[in-house]
Amino acid sequence: MKYLALGLLLLPAAAVAETAAPLVPSFTEQTATAGVRQIYAGDWEYMVGGGVSTFDCNADARPDLIIAGGTNPAKLFVNQSTPGGDLAFTEAQSGVEQTGVLGAYPIDIDSDGVPDIVLLRQGENQVMRGLGNCKFEPANAAWGLDGGNAWSAAFAATWEKGQSWPTLAIGNYIDVTQDMFPWGSCTDNWLHRPDGDKFAAPTPLKPSFCALSMLFSDWNRSGTPSLRVANDREYYKGGQEQLWHVEPGQDPRLYTEAEGWKRLRIWGMGLASYDLNFDGYPEYFVTSMADNKLQTMANPETKSATFKDVAFAKGAIAQRPYTGTDLNPSTGWHAQFEDVNNDGLADLFIAKGNVDAMPDFALKDPNNLLLQRPDGTFQEAGDRAGVAATGLSRGAALADLNADGLMDLVVVNRREPVQIWRNTTKSANHWLTLTLTQPAPNTDAIGAWVEVKMHGHTQRREITIGGGQAGGNLGAVHFGLGDQQQAEVRVIWPDGSEGAWQMLTADAAYRLQKP
Amino acid sequence: MRKVIMLAVIAAAGFSSAALAEGKKIGVSWASFQEERWKIDEAAMKAAIEAAGDEYISADAQSSAEKQLSDVDALIAQGANALIINAWDKDAIGPAIEKAAAEGIPVVGYDRLIEDARTFYLTFDNKGVGKIIAEEVTKVKPDGNFAIILGDPGDPNAAFLREGMEEVIGDAVKAGTIKIVGEANSDGWKPENAQKNMEQILTANNNAVDAVLAENDGMAGGVVAALSAQGLVVPVGGQDGDLAAINRVARGTQTVSVWKDSRQLGKAAGEIAAALAGGTALDAIAGATKFNGGEKGVEMNAILLTPTAITKDTLNLAIDGGHISKAEACEGAMEGVAACQ
Repeated sequence: MKYLALGLLLLPAAAVAETAAPLVPSFTEQTATAGVRQIYAGDWEYMVGGGVSTFDCNADARPDLIIAGGTNPAKLFVNQSTPGGDLAFTEAQSGVEQTGVLGAYPIDIDSDGVPDIVLLRQGENQVMRGLGNCKFEPANAAWGLDGGNAWSAAFAATWEKGQSWPTLAIGNYIDVTQDMFPWGSCTDNWLHRPDGDKFAAPTPLKPSFCALSMLFSDWNRSGTPSLRVANDREYYKGGQEQLWHVEPGQDPRLYTEAEGWKRLRIWGMGLASYDLNFDGYPEYFVTSMADNKLQTMANPETKSATFKDVAFAKGAIAQRPYTGTDLNPSTGWHAQFEDVNNDGLADLFIAKGNVDAMPDFALKDPNNLLLQRPDGTFQEAGDRAGVAATGLSRGAALADLNADGLMDLVVVNRREPVQIWRNTTKSANHWLTLTLTQPAPNTDAIGAWVEVKMHGHTQRREITIGGGQAGGNLGAVHFGLGDQQQAEVRVIWPDGSEGAWQMLTADAAYRLQKP
Repeated sequence: MRKVIMLAVIAAAGFSSAALAEGKKIGVSWASFQEERWKIDEAAMKAAIEAAGDEYISADAQSSAEKQLSDVDALIAQGANALIINAWDKDAIGPAIEKAAAEGIPVVGYDRLIEDARTFYLTFDNKGVGKIIAEEVTKVKPDGNFAIILGDPGDPNAAFLREGMEEVIGDAVKAGTIKIVGEANSDGWKPENAQKNMEQILTANNNAVDAVLAENDGMAGGVVAALSAQGLVVPVGGQDGDLAAINRVARGTQTVSVWKDSRQLGKAAGEIAAALAGGTALDAIAGATKFNGGEKGVEMNAILLTPTAITKDTLNLAIDGGHISKAEACEGAMEGVAACQ
């Protein structure tokens, strides 16, 4: 009887451990009151894109927003939210109010400490030099950027070793003039490398397969990031996903099967990366139609360029709607890892929405919010968290917009108003907001890694520009700390130098400056 | 605790009695079972498998290629002696075929091609569909001005169907007895796009169109609407066995709807899988032919079922098969449709 009693006591405990559910965050929609009014509009040439980016354009340490408009002008919204208050923005006349914009990526190109912007357009792309106080002026001519005339939908940037000027990768989609028969008409992606303190003539990245997202990321921690490209299988002929070597002074070249690369053909739409398993190497999430992909390095010991698909095993496949009666497969766009409940584990937001009205795919396709459990698997909570909207979502951004340590949410929908949610989660969990700066060039330390020590493991984030669906975040990065009231933090700077560990008290924002 | 133990005993007993039975297990992996049509396939498949004394086990990949790989693993683990795989993604199903081959388990690729010579391919003959549309229309109108309404330009099936039509009308076109006065793709196979295409063709030819070959019934509906607006009734062919199209056949505004009877396909799959599970080789399946029309040109053992032409003379097949009620099929039927008498 004693043993039996013991067994009975143990069983419920084990059951609790197995079903331990993550804290479901609470989001409150503030679309009507936040002052963010924008619609991503347009016909088929705007079926992709619709990006939103967050960055601080007026040096007040609050993230401002730039949102693509398609056939409507792009708009910039200045953050007026008070710390811990409701979300509040005012539209600013900034100089970015151009039509034909699919996406926008903030980046301090000239390393003057004021962010600039690259506008991805249907037609000529445009770099906008930041003048301060959220004003911008066109700088293609001054900086030698050939804006091309393509359907540009993807962007990534890096500072190659020895350069004072960034290298930009721009992904170009199908040939817009082939509207009667667009299949197989993918146009060349361009790599804009520096020529001193301006851009050289672009290098075409051949072959190109209708890129919809690009990301420079140091997947093998070699010190030199590679270029991951998500490609849309709908339109390419003989294509696949791609990973490019982009090494200083050398022509870009594709990773090959001999190096371990495995052919993968999906409707690649958006890229996100995060070191989910605390091994120092990023995992990659690629949105698609039906199955989404979560990839982890297959052979960390040999560092071959082979990635293993673990989305199904981790519960992150998100291949069809989890609410409603429409069980046709989903269409995924922006993806972003952030810790939305500050439990110390990155969660995953996916923007979903039919291309237009494709009958074989879900028409009511709720956005996902997948919460990571301690065992590394994910649990859907979009409906319970209040973010399961079913518009034709495209771009999105998770960022702490009101300085309360909780990640808020902006979602861009095709032909319908942008939506915005304040994260109103009540929890005792702690957090850190960290902004990296270093002397010119590359003032935002793109390519750095930030490390935060937890009980028994280390959280790590790579600072990148690129990925997502036509937009991303520049500036502050966020870490949830769970019950830790302080954490040791250090930065591995882009040049490889390792900063000292320093103890930071939780629930505050810090600027980490390279000495 | 005691209840749990008793349940386990019952489960074990159930398992061993199944294992002692002589029948084989046929594992069926569906791509996205929530779609209505697969339930019709399943009923016929299950009946054929059970008629052979075998057991039907199944899994639904829910539109996920990765889940389908896991489903096939699970079906193998449950002791499947043969597999029927309705692939969600033909490019991603490879590892499942490898696993089945390693375990010596035969595979039937169901309705969607898995281009691997170790699988048996079972589908309807898509080229044959286009052929039947053209045959039935040319029986009624062997010459004159023809319009062709093609499906979505990005869908390879549109090209297959067109090839089948060409086999029938190619010579007459060369000889000049059939003149193609208009040929247009309809984006997304949409009836409204087909209607617009037909309107343009009629305008361009002063309504001098004698027959129309449409690649599906929805588009045939758009064609008939465009013709009716001009007060025209000419032979029109389509496919899918749409209920509205079968009714148009009874009314006399559409000549033929080629119908792929899912029950034929389900039944054939059940029978083939049962034979394969019993040790029959892929090339020894009754009726097997060679197919090499896939992307890579791999030669495979296959059965391409001939679909059914539903015309005013064969309307009874759709009614007798339970595909459509007599009332629905025959509403407003013209004189001389036997099935509607």
